[in-house]
Amino acid sequence: MSPEVVDEAAQIWFGPQHVSAHGWATKLTIVGDYIVECDPNAGYFHRSAEKCLEFRNFQQGALIMERLCMLEAFLAEYPYVKAVEQIAQLEVPERAKVMRTIMMEASRIHSLQFWWGQFAAELGLFAMLLWPWVDREYFLNAFEELTGSRHAVSYNTPGGVKYDFTEKSVKTLEQALDRIEERLPKFRDMILRSPTFKMRTKKVGLFGAEQGLKWGLSGPNIKACGIPMDLRTDDPDPNLAYGMCDWEVPVTTNEEHPGQSDAYDRMIQRFKEIETSIGIVRQLLPQVPEGPIVDPKARAKINRLPAGEAYGRVEGTRGITTLYLKTADKAQTPYRAKIRGPCFSSYYSLKHLVPGSTFADFIVIFGSLDPYPGWWDR
Amino acid sequence: MGVGILLQIDIIGWLRGLPSWIYGIISWLFNLVWAVFNYLWGIVVWFWALAIDQIWWLFKAIVFPGLVFVLFSIIFAVWFTRKTWGRVQARRGPYHLGKYGGLQVFADAIKLVGKETIIPDKAKRWMYRMLPSLLLVAVLIPFAFIPWSNDWFIADLSVSLVLTFAFLTVVPVVSLLSGWISGSKYTLIGGFRAANNQFAAEIPLIISSVGPAMLAGSLSIMGISQAQSSLWFIVLLPVNCVTFLVSATAITGLVPFDAPVADSEILFGWRTEFSGIYFTMTYFAEFAKQMLFSALIVALFFGGSYGLPYMPPILNFFFKFLVVLFFFVMVTSSFYRMRQDQVTHFCWKYLLPLSLLNVVFAMFAIVYVPGLAQMLGIGG
Repeated sequence: MSPEVVDEAAQIWFGPQHVSAHGWATKLTIVGDYIVECDPNAGYFHRSAEKCLEFRNFQQGALIMERLCMLEAFLAEYPYVKAVEQIAQLEVPERAKVMRTIMMEASRIHSLQFWWGQFAAELGLFAMLLWPWVDREYFLNAFEELTGSRHAVSYNTPGGVKYDFTEKSVKTLEQALDRIEERLPKFRDMILRSPTFKMRTKKVGLFGAEQGLKWGLSGPNIKACGIPMDLRTDDPDPNLAYGMCDWEVPVTTNEEHPGQSDAYDRMIQRFKEIETSIGIVRQLLPQVPEGPIVDPKARAKINRLPAGEAYGRVEGTRGITTLYLKTADKAQTPYRAKIRGPCFSSYYSLKHLVPGSTFADFIVIFGSLDPYPGWWDR
Repeated sequence: MGVGILLQIDIIGWLRGLPSWIYGIISWLFNLVWAVFNYLWGIVVWFWALAIDQIWWLFKAIVFPGLVFVLFSIIFAVWFTRKTWGRVQARRGPYHLGKYGGLQVFADAIKLVGKETIIPDKAKRWMYRMLPSLLLVAVLIPFAFIPWSNDWFIADLSVSLVLTFAFLTVVPVVSLLSGWISGSKYTLIGGFRAANNQFAAEIPLIISSVGPAMLAGSLSIMGISQAQSSLWFIVLLPVNCVTFLVSATAITGLVPFDAPVADSEILFGWRTEFSGIYFTMTYFAEFAKQMLFSALIVALFFGGSYGLPYMPPILNFFFKFLVVLFFFVMVTSSFYRMRQDQVTHFCWKYLLPLSLLNVVFAMFAIVYVPGLAQMLGIGG
């Protein structure tokens, strides 16, 4: 920055007490209405989850993980479960695989519903916050029917799942799907065809796929650039049942700027994600095989794990979520657990994305990357 | 030396005269107080006589189309807005207190008034205390010119339309100032955004109101309203009505032009630091402004108290007023927020030419088509 610009510049803290900053703080340097420098600061939401994991046994660890992101609780606890299964070499029953996949995709729908409602509210339309959240309630009811709690579900466990499908829980899940299938296309049109929405989101937060990969983005943010990068197909997980159904990785292409994506494309992309997830759940629900839901020897095996290290990962709602787990011999607790959340990179990519845009667009760019503070402050 | 030379004053005589001297002072003071009292009492008598002579006007200014009525209708508007928003947003709105939550607003007002007033260290204290009241007063005064019907109005000046806009120009100045003196960067940004909104939308607003004024041949809102006894001006000036409505939305700072108080971007804009009674005043001022514009639209374009059959004139006005207010509320709950530059672009690129176009078109039609004015029954 030139010296005269520095003289005019004002520094303003966006958060941590800001209404739309739910426990994160970004230092912005503004000249007039334009942001010239953006300095994201992680650490305001820190709960030392990695250290907590070192004091919990392998049955309890997944509970810490799901508290990192309550919106995608089924997905968030999976990397830990997967890593423990790898070290303990557990066999997951077929029924558990399918049930896991179904609930993880339902969780993804729930999380995306939450996101686009919040994004619309950040753009100024409060009605659009509450409409998707009504549909989201139905998914919460389904989770409650299945696991007994709405957010902290603690469903996945090493070697299988904790709760079996009942007739009623399947019915509530189907009700939720029916409702969202009926209402989502209407909302999709209402949002994507709205002229004011287009005005605010088109050409805002534009970046190319190469840049995005360099910044470490993954998930819908990269798929919106037209690259079908998805762990569900790139690295088929033997403990999940994505191979049992017929689906394609959704991508979005920007016609004006090929290979790039703006906030509008990311909105389209996330609607496509919801539709894909609905398709997967719909296909898998009739295919749930009979059998046990958990490896009967699992509890004995994970009581003391052999020495080893494993790397559990899953395609989360916001991108690739991984957990590195290292155990000593006959360990009751992990020696080291390292979480890689999908949102740390998307939050720090603001450093490159935001400068040059107006102050009003900051929250649009931020919101369009679907960040969740729990994932960057572990 | 004799005694008479040493004592050159007659002490006995002086002592004897002391009471009358004190009496003189007291009676002078008494006369002064009496005169002041008489003067003040004269003012009271004069004022009382004036009030008794003008009792009807006083009643109108204070009770019915005046202060009490306006305050109660603001309270109604708050309730109405919240209830409509609730319905649009798949909620129920307030429903606990009173019938259909009607007492909720009173409860909220009591809560807000009872709150502690926190003035930031960096704020300019006396301006911080003064500006919200100034804002509310500036918004409430133009209600005097609203012609609720031919009998029910407070004042009818020959330039009331111009005066209304003049009072409304105070609002962004107050917003900018209160953003400035609150001592926060967010409020400053909000204040400038409020000024920008006014800057963008004021010209289309005033030009849109030129159409009805020219057709009626009057700058008085009453005159314009009365000129529509046979034909509503919306028939001749439909585009002007729309541009007036949109620029009124922009000036009031409602969605989609609510950038001055955009809660997800700049907290609460220029109102961020106001708390307690000061916040209540700014909050009421916004609703008052919304209502004022609804009433102006009815008076300028929807025929004032004329038009609907089987209704007394005043109910006629109220009905149309509620419909326009409802429209405002619906707009508020169905758009995304526009950015600052987009507001200015929108107002100047689209609203301004459109509003001019309709005025020019209507004028040419009146001037060059002979007999049209008589046929439509408009003067001017």
